[in-house]
Amino acid sequence: MATEVLPDDRALRSGRRERALAHMEAHDLDVLVLGRSANVRYVTGARGLWTAGTHPFAPAAVVVRATGAIHMLSTWDEGIPDDIPHEQLYGLTWNPMNWVTVIRDIEGAATARRVGTDTISPTFAQLLPLAFPFAELVDGEPAMRAARRVKTAEEVSALRQAIGVAEASLAAAVSELRPGVTEQHLSGVLLEAAAAGGVTTPATQEVAWVTSRDHPWRRVGGDGRVSPGDLVSLTAGVVAGGYIGEVGRTWPVEGGDPAAVRDLYRRSAGLWTLLFDACRPGAPTSDLLAVYDTAGEPLPPMPVARGLGLGFDPPVVTSGLPATAAEERLEPGMALAVTGYVWRRGAGAVLRREAVLITPDGAELLTSSPVWKR
Amino acid sequence: MTVIDIPAAADPTRMNRERGARLRTAMAGQGVDALILLGNNAVTYATGASWPLGDSGLAHVDRPVAVVVADDPLPHLFMPFREGTSAQSPLPADHVHPPVYLEFDEGVRNFAAVLADLVPGGARVAVDEVTGAMRGARKALFPGGPPVDAALVLTVAKMIKTPDELACIRTALRITERAMADIAGSLAPGMRQIDLSAAFVRRAYEHGALANVLDPIWQVMPDSRAAGVWTTHGDLALPLLTTERELARGDVLWTDVSINYAGYCSDFGRTWIVGQDPNPRQRAQFTKWWDIHTAVKDVLRAGATAADLTRAAVAANGGSKPWLPHFYLGHGMGTDPAEMPFVGTDLGEEFDAQLVLEAGMVLVLEPVVWEDGTGGYRSEEVLVIEEEGWTALTDYSYAPYGD
Repeated sequence: MATEVLPDDRALRSGRRERALAHMEAHDLDVLVLGRSANVRYVTGARGLWTAGTHPFAPAAVVVRATGAIHMLSTWDEGIPDDIPHEQLYGLTWNPMNWVTVIRDIEGAATARRVGTDTISPTFAQLLPLAFPFAELVDGEPAMRAARRVKTAEEVSALRQAIGVAEASLAAAVSELRPGVTEQHLSGVLLEAAAAGGVTTPATQEVAWVTSRDHPWRRVGGDGRVSPGDLVSLTAGVVAGGYIGEVGRTWPVEGGDPAAVRDLYRRSAGLWTLLFDACRPGAPTSDLLAVYDTAGEPLPPMPVARGLGLGFDPPVVTSGLPATAAEERLEPGMALAVTGYVWRRGAGAVLRREAVLITPDGAELLTSSPVWKR
Repeated sequence: MTVIDIPAAADPTRMNRERGARLRTAMAGQGVDALILLGNNAVTYATGASWPLGDSGLAHVDRPVAVVVADDPLPHLFMPFREGTSAQSPLPADHVHPPVYLEFDEGVRNFAAVLADLVPGGARVAVDEVTGAMRGARKALFPGGPPVDAALVLTVAKMIKTPDELACIRTALRITERAMADIAGSLAPGMRQIDLSAAFVRRAYEHGALANVLDPIWQVMPDSRAAGVWTTHGDLALPLLTTERELARGDVLWTDVSINYAGYCSDFGRTWIVGQDPNPRQRAQFTKWWDIHTAVKDVLRAGATAADLTRAAVAANGGSKPWLPHFYLGHGMGTDPAEMPFVGTDLGEEFDAQLVLEAGMVLVLEPVVWEDGTGGYRSEEVLVIEEEGWTALTDYSYAPYGD
């Protein structure tokens, strides 16, 4: 982070815009109206105000394929790249009809035939046709997803920086782990460290978790305080330069059954080896699900892998979407957060989350946080 | 005079029951038979489930979804595994479902199959978001015809807070105020904006926050409007983002932070000066702000309109609006950091004239005053509207400008 609000680097911006415009063409879209922060950042290169959780749809950026012009919601020009001039900025409004007026006046709106949105609300589904009188309104998210799924070299470099901050903040929390501290304290330490490292925007605020000895994944009882023998999972997720860096580790607290703890970490290491082996170009993402079966571990309820990027990116590999996982292939340039999860009654769980980049001939591990070893 | 009796701590069971009743009344009023809710804050309101919210980008794949059916007093919750927070759901097991993935065709097909058993065929359905995959499967998801916007139902239900909701908001404010008091005590020249953010998030968590809601704002005000950044309307920019900028003695900061407690947001705004006391011109800015804010509070009560408030503010400011054109004089707050009632927005004067305030509504008043060379003054006051006036929920000093 700098001492002033800067747009994303020019090479990063132009690489992404080229991909977005190419996929607009491939999907036969004349205009994209984007509401999701990740998509808006992708095409504009401007940092927005981070607020937690999902946001209702509003037209925060408009991309016109014919001219390549990007129009965006911003009441000021601080942090806006110079290739989005003042005339292409529109201010915040609370009045839905004012959105219509602004968008209708954009060059290309009047003649657009196919307009994509990345998501929509029923209200905007009624309003947007007023701004695009001759257009069919269609799903534009597949085009954005296709653009986002493979990372440019500049994006990979941004991901590495984000992962670095996530790992440093994880280390800060691990150093505070001892009997008597609370999950709340560990969360505060981790988020403070990320902010001090220049990232005030978390990807996840679910940070520290005393894993249950009685239920494979549900949190049962407990007062959020770390006790001797607990297995404590820590996940760090930050949004740095717009990109999500994630890492997850589990650390044992002194006082547990050493044999049970060793067994769990041995299982976790074995599972991880198989997961990493399944990360290769051309492989169906369902291989990552199959690995759990091979290792004799039950599939966890969270996604086993999902794309890392400006938000979630394809693929999302989870037991809830088996057909999707079978159809989806890994490609060079995809970045994934891959999760290994094992549990043992009476001991707890070991969660391990690594960031992986698919390369032309295999995969590169982007994370390097230490793993507990006896 | 009756005043709302806010309990010291919220009773979650009663809060869920009363919110559910408000929601179903609003559904009945709009002829809606079933709600499908994807927005994080809407799900919290409808189900009582709260969790530390993450970045919106991840939230699209990893989010709870709620289905509310008019003739069932309990909502259905489709809950992802939430690391560290998958506590016991307030709902019985037959109302808690595995996660759904509404970004994907397969996920929408699975959801539609479950939905067909929950929602009667010809039902009038309201939804707050239609993802691309949902749009592709709209006939299966919405066999009764195109859905209406659930935001309109939520707005009506959420507008008036139950006493338990007010207790949550008050606790969220106390946590925020304690964290900000720690920051104010350490504020000194040479600190960076992000150092304040780091300390704030640490303190907020330690004082009991469930999550941070807003990238904290520590905006250094310009010496003059003309020296500030370019804006579409020519007035001041706010909020400008936090960087590693070092704070200098005499910098005037407009602060703005928000956290979440039990699903409810806080809102905190104060003007601070780095390393020195305000000069007489700066104190005069505060006095003017105080007069405006007092004039608004003097007319604030159940039955007043939003236009009554804007008129009082404009009159106290000598005829011009004491708020920024892209914002408002005030806004509501609950599970969303800014929600209805909005007062003084570009929805227009007619909207404000028709908006009648009622007891139990929460209002965050945030007038601003500005004179070149002073850094201006802005603070936020959270109030609950009463039959005969209001009760302050904010409890924080105006130092260094006043008590």
